[in-house]
Amino acid sequence: MTGSADSLARAGAALSIERLDKVYGGETRALDGLSLRVPAGSFYGLLGPNGSGKTTLIGMTCGLLRAPAEHIFVFGHDAVADYQRARRLIGLAPQEIHLDRFLSARQVLSYHGRYFGMPRLEAEQRADELLEAFDLTAKAKARPNRLSGGMRRRLLIARALVHRPRLIILDEPTAGVDLELRHDLWRYLGRLHRDEETTVLLTTHYLEEAEALCERIALIRRGQILAEGTQEELRARYGGADLEDLYLRAMRG
Amino acid sequence: MIIETLSGRQLRVVARRGAIALAGREVRRVMVLWSQTLVPPVITAALFLAIFGGALGGRLRQADGVSYLAFILPGLLVMTVAAQSFANASTSLFQAKSEGYIEDVLTSPLRHWHVALSYMVGGLLRGWLAAAAVAACALPFTGGLHDGVLAIVPLVLTGVIFSALGVISGVWAETFDQQALVANLIIAPLALIGGVFYSAARLGAPWSTLTRLDPIYYLVDATRAGFTGVHEASLVASLLVAAAVAAGATAAAVVLLGRGWRLKP
Repeated sequence: MTGSADSLARAGAALSIERLDKVYGGETRALDGLSLRVPAGSFYGLLGPNGSGKTTLIGMTCGLLRAPAEHIFVFGHDAVADYQRARRLIGLAPQEIHLDRFLSARQVLSYHGRYFGMPRLEAEQRADELLEAFDLTAKAKARPNRLSGGMRRRLLIARALVHRPRLIILDEPTAGVDLELRHDLWRYLGRLHRDEETTVLLTTHYLEEAEALCERIALIRRGQILAEGTQEELRARYGGADLEDLYLRAMRG
Repeated sequence: MIIETLSGRQLRVVARRGAIALAGREVRRVMVLWSQTLVPPVITAALFLAIFGGALGGRLRQADGVSYLAFILPGLLVMTVAAQSFANASTSLFQAKSEGYIEDVLTSPLRHWHVALSYMVGGLLRGWLAAAAVAACALPFTGGLHDGVLAIVPLVLTGVIFSALGVISGVWAETFDQQALVANLIIAPLALIGGVFYSAARLGAPWSTLTRLDPIYYLVDATRAGFTGVHEASLVASLLVAAAVAAGATAAAVVLLGRGWRLKP
């Protein structure tokens, strides 16, 4: 592909990863020349076993891990060389819940919005909106350590949405979450994706979740993409009655 | 789908708002935790003043032509600013790192130097507020300032140097022990041999040489000049060296944050 064709393709993708490597401590290869393109506006699933490189890929995209320039592009912006523009477009809900313990739930949201450049008043209004959307209004003044696990998880996801990102990255957002909350979250994400054309990149070990939500899926193993496509395309390639079946076939193959 | 691309000017606005928010968060932390951040250093400095200036000062009478209380006050202020600026920046950053919520900052579009300066703001505030409280209590007993600007400039530089070192230490430390190690084994001894309680000129070798090798000595000496008019070293040289160290420490903090040293695997 030529330089301008490359640029066009990157700009058309919410996330474009090109031949990305990551080696920890000179010996553990987490990503091995991985390439991936998440189309803008899609609900995209990234599925793979523990240690396959999902969280490394996300960390390098969002600035939590060191990454080389010219390998990761967010809506065409280099996530390293042009990180300010790229990060403004990303909302991350990490796998582990880490919330600032000196702030209340409302402040966790409003400060986050302000770190991303929102004016104070707008950030506070947005925080109130999200507290309501995630049924946390009654806990607005509570510190994160006073919230239940489910509430903290909701707050973490709300935090990812404060600055109205165009690409939301959810790293196992429903791990350890009860069924009711999981379904609420599915509905909210579906609405966000449909109504605001937000691109969603989801990693999960609940394959029924990926099956219900994701339009396209990438299977990752040992730092490489095994296969990528719609569920129909993957089923045509690997067979299997459902996503779980084809996932197991792909991983064992 | 149309994705808005921010201009350079818009990016600067975004970064500025983010930096103000992070600095505000640091200020808030200092004020919310006032019983841990402000009260203890004020009590410690007041005890030093009471014991060395009041109880023992009566026997020591004068040092370099001024009362012993007036002699030690500037050094105690430097010690207070150094210790508190360092402690605040290093603890805040270390907590954010060890508890994981630094990801809120690392994933944001904030520039590295904005992050460094924002953490330094908390340190500067804590150091200066504690020193201001100590000075307000002691000045009625020591007499007024000899030169207000000269008294304040070294304290400003002290705050910048030690809050920047606090940022570096907070980034470096991976355990509570390491975090305490720098404060207890480097900052506290440097402060104590920096001529806070004595005049280097009156000491014999090797103590006078040791004191003159301590960078804090020059900050104490310059601050003492502002408070009492008495000093031993060249004021211009002391302030220039302090300014250079402040610039160097700040630059090092920014570069280390930018490289993700000990923050990003």
